[in-house]
Parts: sequence; C-alpha cells; structure tokens
Amino acid sequence: MLIMVILAAVAIFLIVQSLPAIVANWQTGDLAGGTTAGNTSFWGYVLPLVWGTIFVSAIALVIGAPIAIGIALFISHYAPRRLAGILGYLVDLLAAVPSVVFGLWGIFVIRPFLLPLEHWLNANLGWFPPFGGAASSTGSTILAGAVVLAVMILPIITAISREIFLQTPRLHEEAALALGATKWELIRLAVFPYARSGVVSAILLGLGRALGETMAIALIISPSLIFSLLVLTDTQNSQTIAANLALNFPESNTLQRQALIGTGLMLFVISLAVNFAARSIIARTGPGAGGKKRKKDSQAKVGIVLVPGETPIFVADTALSATDPGSPGDRAVRERKS
Amino acid sequence: MVRFWADQDNLRIPEGNTVKITRSGSLAAVALVGTLALAGCAASSDSGSSASPSASADTTVPYPKIDSSLAGTITAGGSSAQANAETAWATAFKGLGASGVTVNYDKSLGSGGGVTNWLAGSDDFVGSDAALKPDQYTKAAALCTTGKPVNLPAYLSGVALVYNLAGVKGLNLSTEVISKIFTLQIKTWNDPAIAAINAGTTLPATAITVVTRSDGSGTTANFTKYMHDTEPTIFTAAPSNAWPVPGTSGQQGGSGVVAAVTAGAGTIGYADQSSVGTLSAAKIQVGTGKDFVAYSAAGATAAFTAAATTAAQGAGDLTQVLDYSKVTDKSAYAIPLLSYVITCTVHKDATQGKLVTSYLGFVESTTGQAVASKNAGSAPLPDSILKEAQTTIATIK
Repeated sequence: MLIMVILAAVAIFLIVQSLPAIVANWQTGDLAGGTTAGNTSFWGYVLPLVWGTIFVSAIALVIGAPIAIGIALFISHYAPRRLAGILGYLVDLLAAVPSVVFGLWGIFVIRPFLLPLEHWLNANLGWFPPFGGAASSTGSTILAGAVVLAVMILPIITAISREIFLQTPRLHEEAALALGATKWELIRLAVFPYARSGVVSAILLGLGRALGETMAIALIISPSLIFSLLVLTDTQNSQTIAANLALNFPESNTLQRQALIGTGLMLFVISLAVNFAARSIIARTGPGAGGKKRKKDSQAKVGIVLVPGETPIFVADTALSATDPGSPGDRAVRERKS
Repeated sequence: MVRFWADQDNLRIPEGNTVKITRSGSLAAVALVGTLALAGCAASSDSGSSASPSASADTTVPYPKIDSSLAGTITAGGSSAQANAETAWATAFKGLGASGVTVNYDKSLGSGGGVTNWLAGSDDFVGSDAALKPDQYTKAAALCTTGKPVNLPAYLSGVALVYNLAGVKGLNLSTEVISKIFTLQIKTWNDPAIAAINAGTTLPATAITVVTRSDGSGTTANFTKYMHDTEPTIFTAAPSNAWPVPGTSGQQGGSGVVAAVTAGAGTIGYADQSSVGTLSAAKIQVGTGKDFVAYSAAGATAAFTAAATTAAQGAGDLTQVLDYSKVTDKSAYAIPLLSYVITCTVHKDATQGKLVTSYLGFVESTTGQAVASKNAGSAPLPDSILKEAQTTIATIK
C-alpha cells in the first residue's frame, strides 16, 4: 500500500513538473535553444529517447541474460562446492561496483577492445542493418555501451537465478536422475520448469537496471537524438533517457529542465509497463509458475508424464516451499500413465 | 587598521595600500604574502581612504586586505571550467589570513544549473561561462533587492583544438577550415583546404572524426560563438551550450573528448586547454595573414585585451562582448574562453556580503589570477579589467 502511495506521489511530481514543457511552444523561446534545440514538440524530443532506451537495454539483455543464466547454472549445478562459493561471491561483488567506474572501464578498456571486432563486423556483416553505417574510429558505439551494460546487469540476473536454481526440490532432481536423465536433461526437465518464472523475474529486474542506467551510458555512447538501428557508429547512435538527463540537466534552464523531467516521466511509464508485462507473463506461464499468489500451504506436486518412446516430462506444480523436500515430495511423485 | 575596510560602511579600497606584497604569484608564496600583508598594512596606515593611485599599482592590482577575523562559509556553484581555479583560490584565500572562511564551490551544477540555483537564492555567487542573459538579469535584479546583479570576468583560458593524426604534428588551421571541419563539410584530412595551409606536411587520406561535447557546456558555447561570429556563412547554427551540428561523436566532459580523440584515428575535438594533456593541439590562424598561433596563457590574455569590450547591463556590471575580428595580432590566441563570477552588490546577510567581497576581491587581483594560472592552468586577466572589477567589488555589501 505504501508503495502504491509512493508511486503515485512520484507520478504526480513528474507530471506536475513536466507539464509546462509538454504543453509549451517548442518552436520559440527557451526550448528552441540550448539543450533542447531543434525539436518541434515534446514528443519529437522524447520519442527517439524512448526508442534508444528500449533498444540499448534490449541489446544488453540479449548479450547479458544468457551469460548470466549460464553462470548461475554453473554455480548451482556444475561447479564444485568451494569454487561455487567463490564464484558466487565474485559475481555478487560486481553489483557493488559504481556505474561511473563501469563507465570509465568502458571508455578505456572496452571501447578499444571492441574496435577490431566492430570493424570486422562492419566490413563483413555490414548488410545486416545494425552493423551498417560508417564504423566508429573512437569506439564510442552502442555495442560498447550495451556490452558494459550487460556486465552491469549480470550480477542481478545471476544472483536471483542461482538462488532459484538451488531451490529446485531435491526430489525432482533425484526423480529425473532415477529415470536415467543426464545432467543436462535433469536441468531441462527439473530445474528450468521449476525456475522459469523466477528467471523471468530476474531478467526483468535486470532490464529495469538497464533501462535506468545513466552514467555508464552517458560516458561510453556518443549520442544523437534519432531513431537508429545502428550499433557500430559514432555519429548515428540512439540516446537513452537516463543518459540524456544526466548529460543535459546541469546546463539547462528552468523550462529545459521541465522538458527533461518530462522524459523522466516517460522512463517511469516504460518501467511500469515492463513490470506489468512481467507480471502478466509470470501469471500466464501456468504450471511451473511459482507466483506468490499461490496458496502458501499448497503441497509440492510433481507429475511425471511418461509417454512411451518419448522423453519423460516433468510437470512441477508448485509454490515449492522446499521446507522439507523429503516426505511430502515422496507422496507427490507419482507416475501417470497416459 | 588591520580591520580597516571591514569596519567601514564605505568599503572603498585604498589602492596602493598593499602594493608591495602582491607581486608574488605562486601558491607556495602565499604564506609569505600573508605575513607581509599584515606588516604592509600597519606600515601604510597613513594612506587612509584617499585611494590615490600609486606608481606600482599600474602593473598590479592588489586585493583588499583580508580580515583574519572573517569566519563563515561561502556557498557557490556553477561552471566546471573554473572549478580548479576556485579550489586554488579558496586554498590561497585561507592561506592569506581568512582561515575561518570555507568556500564550497559545487561544479556538478554546471553554469546553467548554477545560475538557476543562484536565482533561487541559495548561493552567494555563481561561476558561469556566460554572462546573465537579459531576462536572467531582470530576475536577478529582483533577487538583489536594493543592489544590482554583476557579471565579473574571473577566469580566462582558451579552447584548444586537439587532434590525433598519425605522423602529423603542428597542424595549422584557419577559422574557415575549422568551421568547415566542425560542420562536417571537410571530411578527410587530405582535403585541399587543409593542405593549402599546411605546406610541407604530408596529410593522410584518413576520414575526419569530429569529437564534440554530448553534455551542455560553456566550452561549447564559447567555441560555437567563435565559429558563428567569424564564419557566419559556414557555421550557420546559433551559438549554444549544446553542440548544434548532428553527425559528430559526442562525449561527456572535456576529459571525455580528450579520451575519445586519443583513442580514435583521424579525430579532432575541442576542449578547455587545461584538460588537453599530451595530445597535439592545432595552431590557429589569427587575422588574415599567415600567422598560426599555438595556445599560450599570454596569447589568451592578449586576445581578451584586443577583443573584449564591456557592455554593462547595469551599474557596476562587467559583461564582456568579444569581437573576434579584432584578434589579429600574432601574439594572440584566437579562441579565448571566458568565465564569469556573478553575484549581487547587496547581500541579504551583511556577514555574507563581507565574505563575498573579500573572496572575490582576492579572485580579481593580480595575485588571485596568478594563483589560478599556476594551479589551474588559466590565463591571467588583464589589469585593466581587474581594476574595474575591484571598483565594483568595493561596492558589494
């Protein structure tokens, strides 16, 4: 409830603060010059930023999420116990690095490091639209920003996924093994279905981090206020809302600041939309979705669907408290003949 | 007598009173200066408030005597360009006797944010890379109640054009070529227009990557104004603190520009010369002749002396208008960067008024300028403008 009040207060603040700029005339006066110059209306200013925010975050997610889930899986199911502890600790430590440090690391390490790859992609795969355009000579590209962003969201996705993988009921795993599943089959049959909704939440939390990331993007990517798909150029990169705010807030006058707060309002709307989308995805994933809405006292139920001649399918229906994985699970595992 | 000026309602500074002690410039000499200041003060007790111009005051502008009993905090903010200078000034000011005075200068605001904060009444003075605009001046006049807002030039430097081009040192650039490069009309380094003014230099066919500021910046404002004033038909965009020409590589901060220029090949960018580091900076044409001048502090001062005229917006105001066409002598560097301190002549709190008077009095002195030059790499402002500033500062209360 308190959260709803705070959210409402934030929304009201943003709307009240940005309204003068949203309704103002952008052709003349303060908004026609300085940091907001060259736009015909608020929407002309904010829509490229909305696009840039979503675009950069999506690339970061595409790069970061599979790696993060892989690391989480390695820590939870493959690594020896001692190594897992150290690795988990190191990944968690990544989350403690300030984003401005990531930004500087991006400028001095990642940008030069990616340059040869970027030139190769541009020369050989330039027909693929995002890799086209004039390749950057400074490395100040969307790709460099997205790679750093991927590293930044890594600890969030990894930490949550790891915990969820670890909570897979022992019994499910043993049942899978008993059926002759290999390690990878075990993970596919027992771990993933159980963890699906948790991993989706983890990815969306990571997306939230990516959407709001400011300093690293501001430092690394050379921005333009345009709709662009290109990821390898200096001069035609989309810009994100948060980075644009950070770059232009100091030198803006009152009305220009209100315009920037208006872009903040858009970011707020995007974040809300992402969260609602996430909840509806989790709610619709059906069996295996361990949503909080489920009755807490519900017992773990695992159905193993055995179709002759096919791989056994686990149906984990659970809000699995995993308090005592032994006894209730024993009863729950039952064979269904189709 | 030590507390002479602080006790008087009329805060006219007797010129020549501290002449002997203001020649030394370095921060290292500050402690010595401090002791001399007290001695000099006691010795010249007969000068009273006559303000007689003394012989040696022609070459130096002394700062008003610093009252060691002053105590308090000056809250200020704004331009990041003059932040290093503000730090040096605050340290030297403490060392010269105002040990109880703390100056909190917040550079994270930037010029625009600093002015906004100051207009809201939260700062004692603001550092800004642009003088108050007419509408801001009107708002400020209301803030200053019975006093007047004043723009005082305080920090002078130069905009350096840094480039990274393998094998090319000592590049010459004219205003026309600069404007064409930065509007992306010249695209490669071996363009005939560049070659024509760089005889004897082999220019590669590398494409030019123009690096600019992605954040709003006073450096951008100064540089775009320079190009717009000198080549209005080429650089048609209005001068702005946000880079106006799309299609460049935008980087955050002067250090970001320097980092990107260093990392790239065939890059050129602009930055406050104090942040240039080891990069090559171009020599820039002055006048219509074949004089190409590299940056020097003396060159920036000479350019300011030649180009600047005062366009006062009100009593005591020292808003400067730079006419770049007057920078023709080869002793001058073509793109000076000027930054102001802006304050009210009447402060709501008399104690704050005394603190600001004393601090800005030090900033606008030969010693203060030398301290900034030594510690922040700025160029000293000419004495003539410092004297005018002192006249204004004497009225601040």
